[in-house]
Amino acid sequence: MPECDNPLWPCAMTGAAACLAGFDGIAVVIHGSSGCYYYPTTLLHAPLHGTFILEDDVIFGSEDRLQEVIGSLSGTGKRIAVITTCVPALLGEDIRSMLDEHDVILVDSPGFAGDIETGYAKAISILEPRIDPGTPGVNIDGACLFDPFAAGNIQETRRLLGMASVPVATVFSSDVLDRVYHAAPYTIGTNGDFPSGVGETLGGILGLTGVRETFTRLGDAIDGADCDPVFAELEQQEERLVRACDKFLQRYDPPSTAIFAGSSYALFAAEALHTYLDAEICCIGTRNVPGESRFRTEQVSSLSRVRELIATHDPDLVIGSSFERSLSQEKAFTGIIPPLRGRVRIYPAPLAGINGTLSFMESVLNSCMDKKP
Amino acid sequence: MTSNPLPANSSRLGGCTLTGAISVTSHLRDTVTVVHGPKGCSHHNVSLLHASWLDNDHAVLPSLLSTGLSEKEVIFGGEDALRKAIGSAAGQEGVRAVVVLSTCVVGTIGDDVSAVCLEDYGVPVVSIPSAGFLGGTFQDGMNNALIALAGTAEPCQKERCVNIIGEMNLEFEVEENYREVERLISLLHLPVNLRFVHNLGWEQIARLGRAELNIMRSPALVPVGEYLKNRLGTPYIASFPHGLSGTLSFIREVAALCSIDGQEALREECLRQEEMLGQFSDLRQVQVSLDRLHSGEDELLAAEELAAALDLVMGTPGTCARLPVSAAVGTAGTKRMLHRWRRAAHA
Repeated sequence: MPECDNPLWPCAMTGAAACLAGFDGIAVVIHGSSGCYYYPTTLLHAPLHGTFILEDDVIFGSEDRLQEVIGSLSGTGKRIAVITTCVPALLGEDIRSMLDEHDVILVDSPGFAGDIETGYAKAISILEPRIDPGTPGVNIDGACLFDPFAAGNIQETRRLLGMASVPVATVFSSDVLDRVYHAAPYTIGTNGDFPSGVGETLGGILGLTGVRETFTRLGDAIDGADCDPVFAELEQQEERLVRACDKFLQRYDPPSTAIFAGSSYALFAAEALHTYLDAEICCIGTRNVPGESRFRTEQVSSLSRVRELIATHDPDLVIGSSFERSLSQEKAFTGIIPPLRGRVRIYPAPLAGINGTLSFMESVLNSCMDKKP
Repeated sequence: MTSNPLPANSSRLGGCTLTGAISVTSHLRDTVTVVHGPKGCSHHNVSLLHASWLDNDHAVLPSLLSTGLSEKEVIFGGEDALRKAIGSAAGQEGVRAVVVLSTCVVGTIGDDVSAVCLEDYGVPVVSIPSAGFLGGTFQDGMNNALIALAGTAEPCQKERCVNIIGEMNLEFEVEENYREVERLISLLHLPVNLRFVHNLGWEQIARLGRAELNIMRSPALVPVGEYLKNRLGTPYIASFPHGLSGTLSFIREVAALCSIDGQEALREECLRQEEMLGQFSDLRQVQVSLDRLHSGEDELLAAEELAAALDLVMGTPGTCARLPVSAAVGTAGTKRMLHRWRRAAHA
C-alpha cells in the first residue's frame, strides 16, 4: 500500500465496530489500545467497551485482560462481540480458544486489513444473518453508524415502506440482534457502500430514479404492496424540485462541481446535480473503490489529491466532508460524508428516498446562492 | 450492560501516545509528520485534529504522511515504506525537517525506526517514540515529542523573555489560556519568546534557550521542564496559574525567578480580582454545591477559595445549584467560570 498524506477514511476495525454497535443486544469490545478505542467511540456515538491493553499485556499475553473485560460484561443479557485491532492480530494469540467458555462473536478486523467497508462487511458475514421465509416485508440495508445520514435514511425508508403498506423487516445495521436471524427474503438499500448481502436485493433508494425503480420491483415482488402513494408523492415532489432548480437556472449558470464521497453517495450526488441542474461534474473522487459510472471517477484517499483536484478544476461547488470544506473556503459546499465538523447537526436528515434527494438539492441550491455575487 | 464502558483500572486510560505526540508535532510549520503505521492510525488523528482546530477557528488542515502499512509490510517489515515516506516528505517544497512517529504496529513488528531516520535525507529527521500503549500515555507522547524537538536546540545567550511550554493544543480554550498567561507576564514587562510548540516554525526552535524562564502548561510536563533546565539552563514554573491566590503566587514566582520587583504587578492584579468579584456580588449568600465528581484536587481548592471570596453558602449536593468546576487559568479564566456559576446558580 503506498504512503498516504492525511488519510481520509477510517480503518477496518472502525467498520466492524460501526456494524456491530448498531445492533441492540450486542456488547462490543474493542480488543486493543486506548487509542483504538477512543476514535470509534467518539465517531460512532455508541457505547463501546475496550480492553485498553498495555505493554505488559503485549509481552505476557492479553488473555487475562480479555477475560477480565468479558467477565465484567457477562450476565448483562447481551452477546459479546470482540473486535481485534492491529496489535492483538499481530501477536498471534489464539483468541478463539481463549474465549471458548463464552458465547462470543469474534471479528478479526485489524486496521491494516483495509478500510471501513472491509471491516463492516466482515462483521456482517460473521453475524451469519439468516432469512426466515415467514418474515413479512423487506429488509433495509446500508444503515451504518458511521454515516451521519443513516438515521435519517432509516426514517425515510420506513416512511416510504409504510406508504406502500410494506412492513419493515430487519434493518442492517440498526436493529435488535434477534432480527438478524429472521430477515425477510427481500432487501432494499440506502447506501450501497455498506450492503448486507442478505436476501434478494430489490435495489437502492438513493435518488428519485432509484426510488421509482426499486418500488416498481418491490410492488412486483411483495404481495399486498401498494406503491401508488409512493409514486404519487414522488411525482409531486419531483415537480417541486424541478421548479426550484429551474428558478435557480433562470439567474445562475449550472455549478461546475467536484464531488468527494463514498462511491454510492458520490454517484447519487452526481446524478442528481446533472439531472436537475445540468451541472458539469468536473471530477469525482471516491473514498473507496468507485462503482460503474458515466462520470469520470477515481479513488482518492489522501488530502493532497483532493487539494490537487480542486485546484485543477476550480469548481463552483464542492460536495464532500469538512476536510473538503476546509480546502474550499470561498466555494459553495454541501456535506454528505463524515467528518462533518464545524456545523451543528441535530435533525436526522436523510440522503436516501424522496426526502433525501429534496434535502440534498435544497442544501446545494442554498449554498450556491449564498456564494453568488 | 455496564453503564460505564471504561475499565476500573485507570492506568489504562492515559490515552494514545501517538495522539499526544501528534498534538505537538502538528503545530510545527514547514515540517511534515510521518506516521509509521497503518493508514487508520493517521486518519483517527487527522480527524481529531481537524475537529479541534475547527473548534478553534483554525481552518488549516494538518500535515500527516502515513506510511500506509498493510498486511504485506506487517509480515515483511515496514522499513522500506518508512524510508520512502521520509524521502517523499523531505522532498516536498518548503519542508525544513521531517518528524517520524511510530505506532503500536511498528512497535510490535520491530522495525528499526531510529536507524532509518539516521540516513541522509537532506533535511533533519527527528524520530519520536510514540508506539501507542507500548510507549505509554497521551502525556508521554507529548513529553517525548517536546523533549525530542528541544534536543535540536543548543544553549544560547539569555534574554529578558519567557517560553510557554507544552500548551494543550487540543483543548477548546487554548488561545484564551495563552492570552491570559501572556497578560500576566506582561504586567512584569516580560515578553513571550516562544510558544513551544504552538504554530511554530522549525527555525524558531533554535531560539528555545534564550528565555530566562520556562512556564509549563501543567505539572505533567515537569520531565520536560527538567530536561530543558539541564540542557539549556532554564528554570521553570510547573503550571499555568489557577485560582485567585494561585494567580498572585504565579506573578510572585515569575518575578522572583526573573529577578524583577513584582509589587506593582501584584497590586494591579489584586485590584482586577477585587473588581471582578464585585461584578458577581449578586451570588452572595446563594446556597450552592461544587461539582466534585468531575474536578481535580487543585481545581477544587481554587473553587473553594473563590466560593469563600464570593461569600457563597455551601449546601447539601442535590438540594441546591451545583456549580461546574474547571481548571480555569488566571483571573480571566476564573471570570469565565463565574459566568457559568451565575447561570447555574440562577437556573
